[in-house]
Amino acid sequence: MFELSLGQLGTASIMLALALALYAVITGVLGAVWRDARLQTSARFAAVAVFLALTTAVCVMQAALLTDDFTVKYVAEHSRIASPLWVKIVTMWAALEGSILLWGWLLTAYTAVLALTTPNTPLRPWALVIMQVVAVFFVGVMVFATNPFTVLANPPLDGPGPNPLLQNHWMMSVHPLLLYLGYVGLTVPFAFAMSALITRRPGTQWMTLTRVWTLTGWGFLTAGIIAGGWWSYEVLGWGGYWAWDPVENVSFMPWLTATAFIHSVQVQERRRMLKSWNILLITLTFALTLLGTFLIRSGVVSSVHSFGDGPVGPIFLGFFIIVMVLSFGLIALRWDQVRDNSELDAVVSRESSFLLGNILFLTITFAVLLGTLFPLIVEAFTQEKVTVGAPFFDQVSLPVWMLILALMGIGPLLPWRKAEQQSLIRNLAWLTGAGLVAAGIAYLLGIHKFYPLIVIALCAYNWMSLGLLISGAVIPRMRVSQKSALRIFKQYAFENRRRFGSMIVHLGITIIALGIMASSAYRVDKQIRIELGSSATFQGYELKAVDRFMEQQPSRISAGAIVEVWRGERLVRTLRPRINLFGQNQQTVPTPAVLYTPWHDIYLNIAGNLNPEDSFIVVRAVQSPLVTWIWVGGLILVIGTGYALIPKRAPQRVRQTQASVNA
Amino acid sequence: MKRGIYALAGVLVLGVAGFMIYRALNSSLVYFILPNEYAANPGQYGDKRLRLGGLVAPGTVNFDDDNLQLTFLVTDSLESYPVQHYGTPPDLFKENTGVVIEGHFDDGVFLSDNLLIKHSEVYEPPPDSEHLDVEALKETLQ
Repeated sequence: MFELSLGQLGTASIMLALALALYAVITGVLGAVWRDARLQTSARFAAVAVFLALTTAVCVMQAALLTDDFTVKYVAEHSRIASPLWVKIVTMWAALEGSILLWGWLLTAYTAVLALTTPNTPLRPWALVIMQVVAVFFVGVMVFATNPFTVLANPPLDGPGPNPLLQNHWMMSVHPLLLYLGYVGLTVPFAFAMSALITRRPGTQWMTLTRVWTLTGWGFLTAGIIAGGWWSYEVLGWGGYWAWDPVENVSFMPWLTATAFIHSVQVQERRRMLKSWNILLITLTFALTLLGTFLIRSGVVSSVHSFGDGPVGPIFLGFFIIVMVLSFGLIALRWDQVRDNSELDAVVSRESSFLLGNILFLTITFAVLLGTLFPLIVEAFTQEKVTVGAPFFDQVSLPVWMLILALMGIGPLLPWRKAEQQSLIRNLAWLTGAGLVAAGIAYLLGIHKFYPLIVIALCAYNWMSLGLLISGAVIPRMRVSQKSALRIFKQYAFENRRRFGSMIVHLGITIIALGIMASSAYRVDKQIRIELGSSATFQGYELKAVDRFMEQQPSRISAGAIVEVWRGERLVRTLRPRINLFGQNQQTVPTPAVLYTPWHDIYLNIAGNLNPEDSFIVVRAVQSPLVTWIWVGGLILVIGTGYALIPKRAPQRVRQTQASVNA
Repeated sequence: MKRGIYALAGVLVLGVAGFMIYRALNSSLVYFILPNEYAANPGQYGDKRLRLGGLVAPGTVNFDDDNLQLTFLVTDSLESYPVQHYGTPPDLFKENTGVVIEGHFDDGVFLSDNLLIKHSEVYEPPPDSEHLDVEALKETLQ
């Protein structure tokens, strides 16, 4: 009897998805051009069908991974029988083919939700077409270039398992998922922006309709980048979280332009300005996600993170160029409609602070892009092989970050249109006063480096700004109300979710800034030799090497050291840094052990080999102050984003309850 | 008037940014070279930060485990230089392994603070030569 293998079933479902997506594009375009409601509806339901077809593909892939079906090439090359369950599940996005599948699946999920929930506006048909075109691209890549369901004629008995660095930490299951949710989320405003251009409606509707998607996408992207940093910290073994590696940079660039975008849309909402600028920014954001995929998947830039070279690099480059040409062409075509009519009223106003912030974010984007591509440029012209070191990115971006922090404090205090000189001076006096006092205290406490002092000053300045914003909202309300200050504050925070959410996000940013500053400026990194049974001092701690250990688990063999961390007479924690071998892999991967404290982390990693003959161990010990606050700040930021997204309660319900109370 | 102010501010910001980017790029470009390239023109590199690629010369590895000083000769079969690296030899560090070390030259000795192993390839000179194909070596180490 003819039996359908998982590989064939998977291939069939992605081919079906491609056919359905093409159908959705064609009916969508025809429906939009002819204004035919039936065709439009058909395209919308096709969007749901595409999603279901890809969901089948995802289920098939999971089934193949979980049942160790090595007839599927992807499973044979990236999975292993001995891996734990969670590793098998996340192996789906541990390599190229699977991650394209995940990306495409999330994209079609978003498209399906959009098709079902977006109100029926003139923007909808074309926006869905654009989403669907992107989906056709991803599914097309899957079908023609990176089919995750390629069948092997002679399947092996077992596979090598995923890249050891990826199965070494649970964070790896979250980080790519968050990033892709971010990328896909930011595709939505791009699609609506293009639709706005096509339908000649460059007003604010496309951005208000997609506000939730934009913020969600931005929140996921932020969370994904921070999760990636944490993963680096916990896995790579050098005690840092950000190395300005090309792979990190390409995820960071869309974040920068997206951040600029969520600020500048407010100018258009309030003042009907920056129309073309906003469309440009969201186009750039979308294009940068494609460029990033090209850069890291084509092997043209060398990175410490190993991604195999694949055929998709040029394909993504091609799509990137097409997207850029078409969208910029469209903007040029509609230039008369997106040109700004009004001008900035004053140099000092909310809108000009947004504009300046935008320029600063783009400056960093440009510098990061230049630094990432510069080795390519140099090699093309001189044949010399160079790398651009982290100092470049630090030197260029640090001053700009300081300006951004300064702007973040004063911007929200400025009124729209024109700031009064008097209140501006009063506000600035408060902010700089707070900054100077904080820097003074920090100086007396022994912080004498330039940037740390500036960052501390700017954080205090920002906290003062948040204080002024809240007191400025609460105090006038107290004058006309009998309620307590706390209740008024709660009411204000609840009624102005968008504004208050942004304050929480800004608070999170200052906390991240403090963490980054302290952990990079005051980091201590040493290799220490410790005789077994005795101890060595490190930054006020005694590190006592108690013993070595070996550990064997189905999926890995590990060797490590047991190190007690003493502070004076008190045993703080016993740390067990280890190195692991996964399956047949030659490459060992470290599992550093970290003592997390609010004040500073003590990070231990086995250096070199653990030789059973040696009477000593060598550990790399890193102390990084305040590094935990980066993750805390990230959490605050995500909470703030979520808070701003809480939907407004429908007004009728309030009236109904009022009526029922009266009754 | 207002436009003038914005234009002027824009030009100023761009100018300052451009200058800073240029200066930063100049000071943080790290060249990747092999020992023979350094030997051809040591003056060009001075004490600048470099990434030096090559093989660990057999019989030259010495590790002082009291002071955690690793010394060896790095070679591309045409030229070799002594390397001093602070820290334990990393996992898979063996004779004839491809390595990339980061640091700078000081008096003919390469002082390294970062040592990467490139272990995936086997390096052998072509049959008709006693030297390695340095072009190919550089390509695989990069």
